[in-house]
Amino acid sequence: MNKYILSKKTVVNDLATFYSFLIGLFIAVCIGSIILLIQDQNPLNVFSLMLKLSVGSINSLSGSLNKAIPLILAGLGISIMNSVKLWNIGAEGQIFLGAIAVNLIYININISNSNLFIFILLISGFIGGSVCILLPAVTKVVFGVNEIITTLLTNYVVIGLTIYLVNGPWKDPKSLNFPAAAYVSKEVYLPTIFGKLSSGFLICILFVFGAHYLKEKSVFGYEMRIAGGSAMTAVYAGINAKQKAFYAMLIGGGFAGLAGAIELLSQTHRVSPGISQGFGYTAIIVAAITGMRPIGIFLVGCLFGALTIGGAVIQTIGVSSYIAEIIQASTLIGALIAQFFFTYQIKEVEDA
Amino acid sequence: MNQKILEAKNISKSFGKVQALNDVDFYLYKGKIHGLLGENGAGKSSLMNIFSGIYQPEKGSIIFDGEKQNKLNPDLAAKLGIGMVHQEFRLIENFSIKDNLTLSKANIYINDFEDAFYKYSEIFSLSVSSDSLISQLSVGEKQKIEIMKLIFNNNKIMLLDEPTAVLTPQETNQLKKSLETLTKEDEKTIVFITHKLKEIKEFTETIFVMKNGQMVAEDLKTESVNDKELITLMMGEISSSVVDKNNKKGEIKLEVQNISVENNIGGFNNLNDINLNIKSGEILGVAGVSGNGQVELANIISGIQSNFDGKITINGQDVSQKGVKARKKLNLSYIPENRLGVGLAPGVSILDNSVVREYFSASYGPHLSSNKMVNYLNLLVKEFSIKTDEPKAEISTLSGGNMQKLLMGRELISNPEVIIAAQPTRGLDVSAVEALHELIVKQRDNGSAIMLISEDLDELFKLSDRLIVLYEGKIIKEFNINEADTKNVGLAMAGVIE
Repeated sequence: MNKYILSKKTVVNDLATFYSFLIGLFIAVCIGSIILLIQDQNPLNVFSLMLKLSVGSINSLSGSLNKAIPLILAGLGISIMNSVKLWNIGAEGQIFLGAIAVNLIYININISNSNLFIFILLISGFIGGSVCILLPAVTKVVFGVNEIITTLLTNYVVIGLTIYLVNGPWKDPKSLNFPAAAYVSKEVYLPTIFGKLSSGFLICILFVFGAHYLKEKSVFGYEMRIAGGSAMTAVYAGINAKQKAFYAMLIGGGFAGLAGAIELLSQTHRVSPGISQGFGYTAIIVAAITGMRPIGIFLVGCLFGALTIGGAVIQTIGVSSYIAEIIQASTLIGALIAQFFFTYQIKEVEDA
Repeated sequence: MNQKILEAKNISKSFGKVQALNDVDFYLYKGKIHGLLGENGAGKSSLMNIFSGIYQPEKGSIIFDGEKQNKLNPDLAAKLGIGMVHQEFRLIENFSIKDNLTLSKANIYINDFEDAFYKYSEIFSLSVSSDSLISQLSVGEKQKIEIMKLIFNNNKIMLLDEPTAVLTPQETNQLKKSLETLTKEDEKTIVFITHKLKEIKEFTETIFVMKNGQMVAEDLKTESVNDKELITLMMGEISSSVVDKNNKKGEIKLEVQNISVENNIGGFNNLNDINLNIKSGEILGVAGVSGNGQVELANIISGIQSNFDGKITINGQDVSQKGVKARKKLNLSYIPENRLGVGLAPGVSILDNSVVREYFSASYGPHLSSNKMVNYLNLLVKEFSIKTDEPKAEISTLSGGNMQKLLMGRELISNPEVIIAAQPTRGLDVSAVEALHELIVKQRDNGSAIMLISEDLDELFKLSDRLIVLYEGKIIKEFNINEADTKNVGLAMAGVIE
């Protein structure tokens, strides 16, 4: 009697992740179309409208790319942590704490050179994100506490802190009871490149290459891979696996914190509960779809940014903006399923 | 009295190309304790898995209580009352003792659980409440619950796979008394599987010996058989090819002085006052039943384990306080027993795994040169004829032999001063074993000091110049290779010194 088993393919196509993504996207568009048809909408009309209003003009394209910045940066942070096989579910909180750190420094120091000031504020955001993940990192390394739980829980603490700050000590008296801190001055706004596109996008590109280098081309990246593969092999090789995990977590948190800083300095210009609209969670999808590859995160991040904008604008014709989220989520599911079939094969074996 | 409760005839079973069981006969007398003796890989566990219905034999018949059983499966085995205690316990850690004992539908003490639990607690001298969680119990207590589970599920035949491996000497004595009571009072039939000579003589009434998938001795009366006979049966005759032993030895490369490691669980020390040295061009074989301190010794010399007393000198330098990397810089290589998981990182590419030993030499500051890595891998592939086609594929896509060649090649290519090789050929086919032996001998002739830890006596006799035997963390005996034979080494492995 013969039976069938799943076995890993020896050679996996380099572009397998990309193809899986396309398949996932196709499945997602089909699912989206079905839902639109149920709602008596013409999917073609809706999708072409989404396309037009998200990338059809300089203004809409730059708006989409602005939305991509936090997705990409937080996704990169998630992918760096994944090198040591750790999951960062706390990017949302890290974005918030990055923004809070920016405001804290902005209130307390004043530097006349605005470029230098912006630079310092961006670094503050990065550090804020790292501080946000410090407790999960310490508990992971010292006690082995599951980082998925701790990073997730930290989100609630930080969002609570944000609400406290904008209703209490940082409440802007001019905001007419809207819970928000005071606006930062125009000197520290990030300049725009074209249309509405913030120069944060350039920083973002820089970090894409930085993350790629760190993961694939550096000694640190190698040590992270070995430590992620087997903690015992790391010990055997003389690699301090816990130290690598600790640094990976701080860097990962920092990336998301920087996203918060850019969001504040280019979009919201003040701390409010609306600093992040779930970017930290969507970033998990972005990172997972791409198999944690920085370049992929950049491309998928841009697409998801456009989807978010597209989803927002189609509300004007009476279609729920949730259609965009449905597409994002089903892309992930479809891509992961496709990925599975790219990595595994079904083999017939003799029954032993 | 001598009624056979189970009789197996001509059992054969193979896995792929490996013949695990070859025409094996085995039978059990009701109410007796049977010993099943054999080295690792002799086929003991395969045979037991056939009785518990996990494997189906390709050939042979099984007769239980006079009735022929054609399709034995785990369900049927449980119904007939054949139960097994595996080496890894199958208890649910966060359930109570009571829940674990009454989990199966075969359980016969539903209504009078407390009485039965009280009775068997006496027999096993177990003093915990049945409400305690399994996770709160010691290893010895967990094992008692495992055996009790068999009783509660009305098993008449109890197969115990290496039950003493995890026990302290006191617990072992206790287990012996409990098992004797079970055979006398409940007429349980017990199979006691082990590779420890001392215990098989203490525990059992009759002994079966397996070697290379065959039953080489049946129904030997324990009281009348002696250690030497058993050793010869278990180890067989040495039949390996000959290696030239006229190798030139130089100065001492590795010196280990007074190494001790305490064991905080109880029982014997993991290592007790180990002293040894190895010269350049010399192979020191380390024999011993697994779990007698071999892993600890290798880990301490290589720098992986840092809590120990004593002194280690490599090439004249005291490295006792130094880490793994510092010892590598003195050109020490370690081929660990656990090739995938320690020596090689699973889920990581072949390329990455090929530079684990010297990845820092492929770096310029923080930059890691992928060119250098690829060159290094290509060199290994060429030098050690490793079959691989895709450097970026996961390491687990390589065959066992190629994996081990990659690992050994990686550790040997720098022509190391000192090599620790633990079980370098375990689980590999004959041709791969030959190739790896040649590598070790070549390295010896290049002047390395080699410590070869192995459970395979053939391998040890073939390669070693001297042989030490570890028993309960001590060097119980040291042999020059020409005075060593299977009998005296085997006895020393069992803790017997003449």
